[in-house]
Amino acid sequence: MPLASFILRRLLQLIPTLIFILIVVFVLVRLLPGDPTSAILGDRALDADVERINRELGLDRSLLVQFGVFVESVFTGDLGRSISLKVPVTELIAQRLPITMLLTAMAALIALVMAVPLAFWAALQRGRAADAVIRGAFQIGLSMPVFYIGLILLTVFGAKLGWFPVGGYGDGFIEHVHHLFLPALTLAFSLSAIIMRNLRSAIIGVVDAEYVQFARAKGISSRLILLRHVLRNALISTVALFGLSIGTLLGGAVITETVFAVPGAGRLMVDSIYGRDYPVVQGLTIALAVLVSVTFLLTDLFQAWLDPRVAR
Amino acid sequence: MKLFSITALTAAVLLGSSVSALALERGGVMTYGRYTDSLFLDPVLNDANVDIWILTNIYDTLIAPSKDGLTLEPSLATEWKLNDAGDEVTLKLREGVKFSDGTPMTTDDVVWSLTRAANPENGIWNSLDASINKVTAPDSSTILISLKYPDPTILSALSVFNTAIMPKAAFEAMPGTTDKEKAEAFAQKPIGTGAFMLESWERGATMKLVKNPNYWAMGEDGKPLPYLDGLTFEIIPDDATRILKLQSGDIQGAEFIPFARVAELKADDKLNMELFPSTKVNDIIINVRPMIGDRENPLSDEKVRQAMNYAVNKDAIVQVVTYGVGTPLTSFMATTTPMHSGTTPLFAYDLEKAKALMAESKYPDGFSTSILTLAGNQDELATATALQQMWAAIGIKLEIKQVDNASRTDQYRAGTFDMRAGAWTNDISDASQITSYFAYSPTIDALHSGWKSDEVDGLFVASQKEMDPTKRAEQFARIQDIFNASGPTIPLYETPYPVALSKSVNGFYQIPLGNNVFREAWMAK
Repeated sequence: MPLASFILRRLLQLIPTLIFILIVVFVLVRLLPGDPTSAILGDRALDADVERINRELGLDRSLLVQFGVFVESVFTGDLGRSISLKVPVTELIAQRLPITMLLTAMAALIALVMAVPLAFWAALQRGRAADAVIRGAFQIGLSMPVFYIGLILLTVFGAKLGWFPVGGYGDGFIEHVHHLFLPALTLAFSLSAIIMRNLRSAIIGVVDAEYVQFARAKGISSRLILLRHVLRNALISTVALFGLSIGTLLGGAVITETVFAVPGAGRLMVDSIYGRDYPVVQGLTIALAVLVSVTFLLTDLFQAWLDPRVAR
Repeated sequence: MKLFSITALTAAVLLGSSVSALALERGGVMTYGRYTDSLFLDPVLNDANVDIWILTNIYDTLIAPSKDGLTLEPSLATEWKLNDAGDEVTLKLREGVKFSDGTPMTTDDVVWSLTRAANPENGIWNSLDASINKVTAPDSSTILISLKYPDPTILSALSVFNTAIMPKAAFEAMPGTTDKEKAEAFAQKPIGTGAFMLESWERGATMKLVKNPNYWAMGEDGKPLPYLDGLTFEIIPDDATRILKLQSGDIQGAEFIPFARVAELKADDKLNMELFPSTKVNDIIINVRPMIGDRENPLSDEKVRQAMNYAVNKDAIVQVVTYGVGTPLTSFMATTTPMHSGTTPLFAYDLEKAKALMAESKYPDGFSTSILTLAGNQDELATATALQQMWAAIGIKLEIKQVDNASRTDQYRAGTFDMRAGAWTNDISDASQITSYFAYSPTIDALHSGWKSDEVDGLFVASQKEMDPTKRAEQFARIQDIFNASGPTIPLYETPYPVALSKSVNGFYQIPLGNNVFREAWMAK
């Protein structure tokens, strides 16, 4: 069972990764100048208030003791309480992370729907006008800043045409999807450009490969050649790229969520970093790390299915 | 002709009835776009304006600040009296007040709430109530507050959000052992006597408030307040999106409109662009310590600071940063603050005088220094950039350091900054709070600047016990004169609260202290 041992191997690799992230996030967030008390109390705090709040938050204890408390909380599944919002971190993550996951998933789907057919078309029309137009259009998508695309989409399709809500998240799954369409499209632009370019070159490489020429010589239909030989082989590198891009998408969600007023994990992360809300930053980083690791694992599995040599 | 008369008559009747129908049907659900969410809805333990400015819709205080922020009005107390010695307050409670859960408000709740607010272990606002010695209830409708010393600010303090009345029994029934733990549980679903009550709260997205059916106040039309059936706060951090949502009719109000867009929204015939008078002042805070770390600090030279002040063209900054919405400061406190004094803008622009003062200073050839601005805050960056150019004319090289809030507060508190952009709004209708932070050195070293004036310190202490309003106003006038002439700031401008509302919204206002008042707001149904 090479596949089972492959999965097990990858899962075991996850453990040191997570421990590493645990340490790094604990240290990094404390290396930032300023502390939660400065962030919470702001300019008006008196010395006595600062001392009292530090004591209440346990920030007067040594870093080692604080780290011990943190590790213990991670292993008991209780990630502590948010310093500024005064609610359990797990509750916040449960509220906000699914929103970002849905946004990212929709963005990934839209990017694929835009990129894959056009990549094929561009590759098969290589060097002709259609190829140049498609590549040019995606280049523009790649180079425009996310907040700018977002505002244009909001103004045109939200405020002017009224097809989509102007930001927000709505109630119920259908409304969520409706609200998230424009932000997902915004996020999808740059990803689709990357995928399109990569897939186009991969297809061009495969189309010229000897085994494809051989298949063609055998008289196999073009459709079958495209699906069985070209697509499957061309997809291998694109799937890897796609998996890696999920992490970038989650990062891009921060800006998109702000422009579109989506209450996702990206915004929570930024607010928590500014607020030096250590427990939330730590908890959310761990949750995101697990999410990205699982995505990588799924990507690897899909790649292994496309190309069994990967699992060896 | 007859037909015309009948038509006209019918039209008049219809118009009349529709107008009265409009007047009768005040209500609706209003959605208000906020730039960020509230954090903690406990009146005593909260730390931020995002809570303070909303809390007063859920909780009431015994006394309320007036709409112009200058006087006091009855709220849960219908009358009050401070004795001649100034050390005892007697308040008469309003009859029949109920909390939003239907339980009657009792003297127990009041005694407990005020005692909790004044407890020095609770939160950061208790210093406003430091004079409170003991709160008792001689009978079922009277509250007696005995003070440790005469306190001319005590009545204003009883109008500040942290003295809001909460239900003792419901609070104490919350899970947890400490006051903080109970407050955290209580604030998830707060119960108050305010006009609205919290229905649901999706953090970072929406907060839904609904009408409190037990609310005690009556509106100008003799009908019970609040008029609105519901009030939804939607969190829209991006300014452009918040305005777009207002223009598209998704929301009916939006706070913190950037000054750059005020003129445009004023011209929009579907909107009312409101500029509510505020107590907000904007200035530059200067570290005046002779040494910062092991560096000599040129800003400690008073002549240098005066030169810097004269070299700043405040009118130009008002135009560049606030697009003409702000007005130059006439004192360190805003004109809306009780006992503000001063009629002319401070340090009118005079480059020649600035150059002469620099020549007389210890640094005639100029020097390099720096200013901290909040990363991402365009107003502060624009101000700092303007200052950079203006001070270059007197030989000062200014480095702009953009940092985030926690980093800035850290350097500020440690006294290791050169200068920083500063902004302030009062929490209390009195000059004492701003003065204690700005000028009275024992509080926070006069804005952590290291500035100290024995005369100001003495006057402030005296003003906190002075029961004669005229004498007290004189003391504050003198403090302002001293601080304005030699203090550790570059006074810039005061600004109103820019709020854009749909034309369908009536009766909403924000008081100079910042409180958003929704209880009289309504929309034509």
